[in-house]
Amino acid sequence: MTSGLASPVGAAQVPAPMTGKTLALHDLSLALRSGVRGPGAADWLRTQSMPTDLQPNTIENISNGRLLMALSTREFWLLEPDADASAAAPPSAAVATEAWPLYNQHSHAWLVLAGGPKADMMAKLCGVDLRENAFALGQVAQTQMAHISVIVAHHLWRDTPVFSMFVDQSLADFAWTALSDAMSEFRASTD
Amino acid sequence: MSPRRLDAPYGQLIDRDSPVEFEFDGELIRGYRGDSVVSALLGEDRWLISRSFKYHRPRGPLSLAGHDANTLVQTPRAPNQLAEDLDAQDQEIVSGQNFLGSLRADRYALLDRLGRFLPVGFYYRAFFKPRGIWRYWEAFIRKTAGLGVANLRVKPRYSDKQYLFCDVAVVGAGPAGISAALTAAAGGAEVLLIDENPYTGGALTYHRFGLEDVTREHMLAQLRSSLAAAANIRVLSGATCNAWFSDHYLPVFQGERLLKVRANTCILATGSSEQPVVFRNNDVPGIVLCSALERLLLHHGVCPEGPAVVLAGNDDAYLTALTAIDAGLTLAAVVDMRPATDNPALAAALAERGVTCYFNATVYEAHEDASGLRLGSVDVYNIETAGQVGALTARIECQLLAMSAGLMPAYQLACHGGAKLEYVDEKAAFALTQLPEGMLLAGGVNSIHTLEAVCADGRNAGRQALRALSRPADDDEAVECALRVNHPWPIFKHPRGREFVDFDEDLQVKDIINSARLGYRDIQLVKRYSTVGMGPSQGRHSALTTARLIAQATDRTVSETGVTTARPPVKPEPLGLLAGRRFHPVRKTPLDSRHRALGAHMIPAGSWRRPAFYGKPSQRTACIAAEAQAVRTGVGIIDVSTLGGIDLRGPDAAEFLNRIYTYGFLKQPVGKTRYAVLTSEQGVVVDDGVAARLADEHFYVTATTTGVDRVYRDMLRWNAQWRLSVDIAQVTSAYSAVNVAGPRSRDVLESAGCDLDLSAEAFPYLACREACVGGIPVRIMRVGFVGELGYELHVPSLMAQSLWDRLLSAGAAFDIKPFGVETQRLLRLEKGHIIVGQDTDGMSHPGEVGLEWAISRKKPFFVGRRSVEILMAQPLKRQLVGFSLSVHAPQPKEGHLVIRSGDIVGNVTSCEVSATLNQIVGLAYVHPDDALPGCDITIRTDDAVCVQATVVALPFYDPQNERQAL
Amino acid sequence: MKMMECPLNGPRNISEFTYGGQVQVMPDPQQCSDLEWAKYVFYEDNDLGVVREWWQHTPSSYWFIAERHNGSDVILRTYDPATLFTGRVDFQDEGSPS
Repeated sequence: MTSGLASPVGAAQVPAPMTGKTLALHDLSLALRSGVRGPGAADWLRTQSMPTDLQPNTIENISNGRLLMALSTREFWLLEPDADASAAAPPSAAVATEAWPLYNQHSHAWLVLAGGPKADMMAKLCGVDLRENAFALGQVAQTQMAHISVIVAHHLWRDTPVFSMFVDQSLADFAWTALSDAMSEFRASTD
Repeated sequence: MSPRRLDAPYGQLIDRDSPVEFEFDGELIRGYRGDSVVSALLGEDRWLISRSFKYHRPRGPLSLAGHDANTLVQTPRAPNQLAEDLDAQDQEIVSGQNFLGSLRADRYALLDRLGRFLPVGFYYRAFFKPRGIWRYWEAFIRKTAGLGVANLRVKPRYSDKQYLFCDVAVVGAGPAGISAALTAAAGGAEVLLIDENPYTGGALTYHRFGLEDVTREHMLAQLRSSLAAAANIRVLSGATCNAWFSDHYLPVFQGERLLKVRANTCILATGSSEQPVVFRNNDVPGIVLCSALERLLLHHGVCPEGPAVVLAGNDDAYLTALTAIDAGLTLAAVVDMRPATDNPALAAALAERGVTCYFNATVYEAHEDASGLRLGSVDVYNIETAGQVGALTARIECQLLAMSAGLMPAYQLACHGGAKLEYVDEKAAFALTQLPEGMLLAGGVNSIHTLEAVCADGRNAGRQALRALSRPADDDEAVECALRVNHPWPIFKHPRGREFVDFDEDLQVKDIINSARLGYRDIQLVKRYSTVGMGPSQGRHSALTTARLIAQATDRTVSETGVTTARPPVKPEPLGLLAGRRFHPVRKTPLDSRHRALGAHMIPAGSWRRPAFYGKPSQRTACIAAEAQAVRTGVGIIDVSTLGGIDLRGPDAAEFLNRIYTYGFLKQPVGKTRYAVLTSEQGVVVDDGVAARLADEHFYVTATTTGVDRVYRDMLRWNAQWRLSVDIAQVTSAYSAVNVAGPRSRDVLESAGCDLDLSAEAFPYLACREACVGGIPVRIMRVGFVGELGYELHVPSLMAQSLWDRLLSAGAAFDIKPFGVETQRLLRLEKGHIIVGQDTDGMSHPGEVGLEWAISRKKPFFVGRRSVEILMAQPLKRQLVGFSLSVHAPQPKEGHLVIRSGDIVGNVTSCEVSATLNQIVGLAYVHPDDALPGCDITIRTDDAVCVQATVVALPFYDPQNERQAL
Repeated sequence: MKMMECPLNGPRNISEFTYGGQVQVMPDPQQCSDLEWAKYVFYEDNDLGVVREWWQHTPSSYWFIAERHNGSDVILRTYDPATLFTGRVDFQDEGSPS
């Protein structure tokens, strides 16, 4: 618990290697994320030289290993998987006219699922078709998984296609357990 | 020694090199890998599999497809298993069930002789009168009508669920289904082909589609190889599609997994169900459907002992006869209920083989052999008119009878989708109409029966599916089928009965007719009264006969009578598979591990897990008293992270809040909190919390743990209509919170490094601030739920553990004590604070619960205002008050009634023993005339003991509210 | 399980949605009679035909409006509430929404 931050995932375990068919689950809850919401959100993105043409429910790799995720035309998440979360107070004041910062650093746990059969495994928990032909790289689904709400984003991380999953932090332990259980039948297979 | 079987091509499903064995009723049964329990038993010439439900009659297989209840057996794991669906190789011990003594010599079989004393509705009548008679019958009925025995020690298996997505789901992998799948896949669709059997090919694997049996195997091989070569077809074998639900959502059971298939279109190629002939003793072991005999020969290579008789209602039965002769079975006769065959070549072919054919004749009665457990002979009678016979023509010795009265579409899935099963009386033919959008039929279920037509019908369905998916497809082929497969009246009532309509429920012709006589004209009522179609076969073999009998008895046509509604499931399904894995989301606060380390007794609170108190449940009272004592005299700390939180930001934040909550918020100063009550549009108090104004355009509002989701949802919906400039963010999880309460709480905060001036002057009661405690950013509110000097600290969740640790170590010098939610409930009750949802109900308006003061009448609108005005203008019907009584009195509990002059006037909503006050204190709804302090009220406690309590002014503790304002 | 098309998230299982009642027009709360108000609060039309309903996609908290035939249960269309609620609503002191 360096920096005074503690991940909501209490059951964290050493992730399996990300090779072949094996699935790996990573806890990125202590990685940096922020966001902005409101009618002025897109305008604010422009002032920050970030893309403003994202369709709702898409995600894009932008500069410096960062990702920009659009949940609607007026809500954007900035994800920095390889940077550490800050221990400062989350900003609350409007960043521009009708654009307010999000508290997503603290509200949501960030889990990352990697490996070949990740869509098959997710089909055990989630009613949305997450296979490549229905849920291509760059797509985002706000849906439910194991009876809880989740945001699933399909993107590249360290050159590997992964699902980033954001769940309410109070349900992080539950989500981790449900995912690990569903993964167990895939864990042994390698190729 | 392994049992003898026919050589190939018979016995496609068995592996002759892999013998298997299991025990059935104490005897060793040998078979081969690929055998079901039933086919292995038949291979050893054992035909007695079960005892019937009501009369305990001996029963053997009927369909050999797992479509009837005649083969229900018991395994050590589970009762009531269909032996036709049980792989022989997986079994060690199988036994019969539902008998007293042994399967062969069931002493309950005498019930068959007592049958006339056990009419339909017997149980209902025995329940009913004469009064008290049920007592005498109950034990006997429960024992005889129970079927198998549940093994309560069984260890649950790991069962699972999974979604499967496809463009086209094809149910049934017979020639129609495979043709449909191939066509759809060739057109680019992603296809799922589902079949309940462990193989593909359906009837092609056993049925002969013409006199010369040459095309079948060739076609089967061709379809299978095309299937294997098709890239975008996934075949699910041994998978039962058990229902059709809206928008092509199909539950498919495969092994220990329930697959939840979601398709864009759905092709039903489920084939048809062969129908039995109804005559006396048509249930004797050895009487099977024609298709069952074909399966036995072709699938399992079992050639049963002859001689055999075929009872035909259509030309198809002749093909079965030919198959049987080719396999070496001795055929004694073919009995045809029609005057002649439609295809004269069939009759000629049998004559050529020296088989006697009786036309216009039926089997009117079957007789058991000397054992009483197996078919011995059948009586053949001439048919005079429909259902009426003339003279005995012949008694034929036989051990096997194969019958076919017709083919009924396997209509279940289509009917789940709202389709109607129509019957054309003149042709005795079926049609499924009014299919839901995107559902298509192919083959037997579409009343298409000749092989070429079946395949073409399948291809057409594939094309229609492609068009439904907006993909190009060829024009449909012309499909016709003139085959007459259904005999119009294969029912022969016998004066001595035992002509079974429903084998599962032991229902005879007279049972159905009597239902009509008793006034049940509607087929649905006949079903409910007689229980016809309620067994595992779900009317597969009985619905048509029932419809025909009721039509006749009520002078209507079958199409007017209709058949009973088919509802899911198609086949019995294990509840464990429906349960699947259990997802019970439990929310934990970031401090969960800290509570457990401190020995907290955790309880569920809404969807959360929270400490009730710290210590052993056996020491509950002492723990709570000690925790309360700490808060009242020293300092305590409680995790209140579960409290709902909503951030309102923007130019209209105050205006929005003003419209949602009852109080006025426009002029609320920055740095101050206000109590916020939410009423519904009906004027009922539905939530409360505290609104903290952190900045001019920023409010932080708390809501109850269980209410916040609803409050948030309602807020969003209101603003979807009002369109104010405000951002509404639920921050329940973003912020965790602790409440440090007690006279020493200020000392603890100072010692923990809070960078605020905490003096009463600088940070008074009801103020709010943003600050840091030892560098950790917090939102602090001075609120007093428990009635002491206290600080509620809201902290970004990732830092909640740091803050907790810091406060606990700083608090050690002041003997800080963590307290739980039960202690908090006691403390707030002493202060007379209500909990919305506990002390309020679905009718409580602000006037009833003493919240008039929280209603602003100066503003033009708030949600519920009009209703509150209407309600509060009326005289009060009840009022929430505080009451107290001696600690030695019986303690009233939540829900206990308040009685006044013998009438119920209210109820207790909260009640605790207060050690601080040395009294029992509580809140209760009372009659308004009793609401003044000093009034006596009567509370009816456990065991109807009434106690007197005294109404007391609230709060019970610290009436001047001095302590929280220190 | 039934599917519904969410204007923001696309077609989803109906279990992802929360029902919010029929879309109703609130009578002027300060001018209307008690009876009119009671009807608004407690009555729902139960006529056979197309009804306009509030639905929320629960995971995204997004409210929208669905037009559904209550006989066939066919959902005819779904759309953002801004289609119906086009401008800011204010309550004047005399109580009339503008």
